Amino acid sequence: MEKLDIPQGTLDLMILTILAREPMHGYGISQRLAVLSRDHFHVNPGSLFPSLYRLEQDGKLKAEWRPTENNRRAKYYRLTASGRRQLEQHRERWNRVSFAVTSVLEGA
Amino acid sequence: MTLLHRLASILRWIVRRDRAEKDLHDEVQAFADMAAADRRRGGASATEAQRLAVLDLGGVEQTKERVRASRYGAWLDVVGRDVRYGLRQVRHNPAFSGIAIATLALGIGVNAAMFSVVDAVLIRPLPYADADRLVMIWDDASRTGGKPKFFSTPPEWHEWRRDNTVFTDIAASQPGDAALSGNGEPEELPARKVSGNFWSVLGAQPLLGRVFTEDEDTRGSRVVVISYGLWQRRFGASPDVLGRTITLNDSSYQVIGIMPREFYFMPARDVDIWMPTSFSPAMLNNWGWHDVHCVARLKPGVSLNQAREAMARLSLRLSAQHVPLARSAVVTPLREELAGKTYMSLIVLLGAAGAVLLIACVNLANLLLARGAVRRREVAVRAALGAGPGRLITQFLIESLVLAGLGALAGLALAIPVMRFLETLVPQTMAAVHLTLDWRVLAVSAAIAITAGVTFGLAPAIRGSRLALEEGLRIGGRGSAGTRSYSFQHSLIIAETALAVVLLTIGGLLLQTFEHLSRLDLGIRSDRVLTFVTPLFRYREFEKRVAFVNAELEKIRAIPGVISADAISRIPLTVNDQATYYRLAGQSSNETVEQVALSRVVTRDYFATVGARLREGRFFETSDQRSDAPAAVVNESFADRHFPGRSLLGARLQFGNLSPKGYWYTIVGVVKEIRDRGVAEQLQPTIYRVHEQADQSGDQPSGIVVRTALDPTSIVSAVRQAIWSVDRNQPIARVQTIEDIVTRQLSVPSQNTVLLSAFALLSLLLASIGLYGVLSYAVTQRTNEIGVRLALGARSRDILLSFSRRGLTLTVAGLAIGLVLAAMTARVMRTLFFDFQPDYTAAVAVTSIALLAVGALACFVPARRASRISPMIALQQE
Repeated sequence: MEKLDIPQGTLDLMILTILAREPMHGYGISQRLAVLSRDHFHVNPGSLFPSLYRLEQDGKLKAEWRPTENNRRAKYYRLTASGRRQLEQHRERWNRVSFAVTSVLEGA
Repeated sequence: MTLLHRLASILRWIVRRDRAEKDLHDEVQAFADMAAADRRRGGASATEAQRLAVLDLGGVEQTKERVRASRYGAWLDVVGRDVRYGLRQVRHNPAFSGIAIATLALGIGVNAAMFSVVDAVLIRPLPYADADRLVMIWDDASRTGGKPKFFSTPPEWHEWRRDNTVFTDIAASQPGDAALSGNGEPEELPARKVSGNFWSVLGAQPLLGRVFTEDEDTRGSRVVVISYGLWQRRFGASPDVLGRTITLNDSSYQVIGIMPREFYFMPARDVDIWMPTSFSPAMLNNWGWHDVHCVARLKPGVSLNQAREAMARLSLRLSAQHVPLARSAVVTPLREELAGKTYMSLIVLLGAAGAVLLIACVNLANLLLARGAVRRREVAVRAALGAGPGRLITQFLIESLVLAGLGALAGLALAIPVMRFLETLVPQTMAAVHLTLDWRVLAVSAAIAITAGVTFGLAPAIRGSRLALEEGLRIGGRGSAGTRSYSFQHSLIIAETALAVVLLTIGGLLLQTFEHLSRLDLGIRSDRVLTFVTPLFRYREFEKRVAFVNAELEKIRAIPGVISADAISRIPLTVNDQATYYRLAGQSSNETVEQVALSRVVTRDYFATVGARLREGRFFETSDQRSDAPAAVVNESFADRHFPGRSLLGARLQFGNLSPKGYWYTIVGVVKEIRDRGVAEQLQPTIYRVHEQADQSGDQPSGIVVRTALDPTSIVSAVRQAIWSVDRNQPIARVQTIEDIVTRQLSVPSQNTVLLSAFALLSLLLASIGLYGVLSYAVTQRTNEIGVRLALGARSRDILLSFSRRGLTLTVAGLAIGLVLAAMTARVMRTLFFDFQPDYTAAVAVTSIALLAVGALACFVPARRASRISPMIALQQE
């Protein structure tokens, strides 16, 4: 199946949403994103990691090294309080945007 | 909050770079490993899984690079790399870098040093509260033939203060005398009388004790505030001095306060005693007593111009009621008064230093442009590897900044000795300073370096990046830079030549002025004359004074090596106006209003002792004793004022315009001008009287002049002993030779001249190096073309001429523009010429010849190289 491009600005929102459930490492995030998007989205590590680093630099995420269930070592990201606030704001805005777009499309 | 996180993370990235890198690597690797493990679970072989995982990732290194590039603060990495690259360039091109850094060091060093003195004189806070609101108010005496800025009078101060609407308050300050006696050697202290509100107008607080009040001033209380210096020197810094009674001018005064070390006020930094003015009612009605400095504080919201207009109007209105010819008033910022003539010199010197820096920058821009062409291949490679124009410009600019930074470091080392020289430029009216590389100078130098780096680096950077992108790798070694690229360099050359011409011309004018000043006829023979002051406050009674002065002179004349000794009320050449009103026989009282001349009281052979020359008549003689028909000698200015072209011998005059009584003096001689008011000051009509016949005058012959056969300083202690043998308690002050006085007065113009000439020569040197550089570069670039022309039959002479013509055209264009600019500059700075009219044509001629000679040399060397090119070799270079 052909993959979709991730719309501009929504990657951060999706990363924050995924991490709101539980802390996760980079690979886990990319897998979870594929599953949750029913395989429509596939995020490239070249885009994922820069986003993770910037969110961390902004204090939205906190990272620590932990063993995985398969006994590897991986860097787990978790949401900070400030990240949670940003998630709420972004989700709220996204809901309004998608509602607005849907309304226009259906009204026409 | 977010910003703080970012900064902390940027800092971590810088400080713990290795760990951050390892972290990144491990994380990306972990991603790849997990992806491979998943593939293996899906059935792929181990190697195949690994390969697919890395493919998925899009490359480990590429991913890491994208993270690095998108991090906040990523630009720091770029800058760091470029700085390292720039430093490597410096090391690899020692000749180029040496020239660039030396040029910049000169430019930046000179400017850092100039800034430090400008900062000290014009920028630093003055020791008064809110000093920018302080102004001085002067009489405008220009309508009566006097100076446009003259001391005001006690009644003016009084009435201005009462009626003005623009100042919160006005304070007065007057010259004062303070001969300190008792407890140690008697001495004459520099003193000022100030009104009781002086302290509140300035917003000045004492270090210890208190200042006097307006009430104490009006009551005439005998209280003084002393300087920090006097407190340290004379009273051992003991706080006990507060409340102590000291003897000044044979009267008792109580010390009530000590001013802080940094406090000073007009007219000199060395005032030791501040006493109340305590104007008498008679003084407050004397509209002719011009010796008051008025300092005032502008009301909030009132501008300097508003105050100027208001005061001019007020002064005209008030004076109209008291003097026949109403006079205006002039308001000037206090800071400008304190800086005095130095104000203009500093501005001019700062401008000159700026011009030197600008020339240095222009040269570097040209050097870099030339080098940019050489580096085109290297840049093209970088462009091909993906560096965009912005990236290339950044890299070029950072290289320039690295050069500028190194230049600034070298420049600061250079600035320190220059500062020692500049310290003496700080005027006597302000606190002495020790100039250092403080943070202000360092900050300004850094700013200069950055500005310079961008200034000279920007054009070559843009050019370099554009060339690289336009031409890519396809170009060969041959420059295809056409006339377009040369025209920019040519305008730079013209600009720097013009700047050099301005400096050279101004330097020439200053040189002439200094030459003129140092050759001025002083009217006296300045060699081997010792001068000093013996305050005569203890001899208020006329008869005793005459007897004492004659007795002390007698003793001094007896010292071996002394040729003659005489006395005068003001030491010649010292700027001390002591003016008096006078009336010539036959003048109506209307004519004599505001008619003043300098007054000097001398002993009989004073003129012979100082070596003055006679124009007509005679000097004083033994017969000029006290009598009812006293004699006067006047100077040429006086004679020319009243009797132009005629003899005035026998004319009679009287002093003072207030009382009709008084002696009539007969003019017996005209002395050739003596520069009584100072070497560079305007001459004024002067009347000399012999002290035996001056019992009505307040002038006392306290200044002693001694002509010696040997070094005048060798008899100083003998002179002291001689005077003390007459009076044990006689203070002796300000011992100096006439030559000292002259040297000191010429120090400011001489320093201006030295500095500006140095700047001018520097700029000429730099401009010629620039011209030489551009032409040599053009020759190198056009070797092929020259080869072709020679092969086609051009003679080498033609080549020589064509290149020389081009260089000389630039030189002449710069010369023409520079001369116009110089004429404009000279008009702005004419106060530095001390009323002297320097010969503009001569300065222009010398400048033109010097510039053309240097320019021709700078053209000839590369042009000759071009003409010697062998066509074979030139064409083989292809």
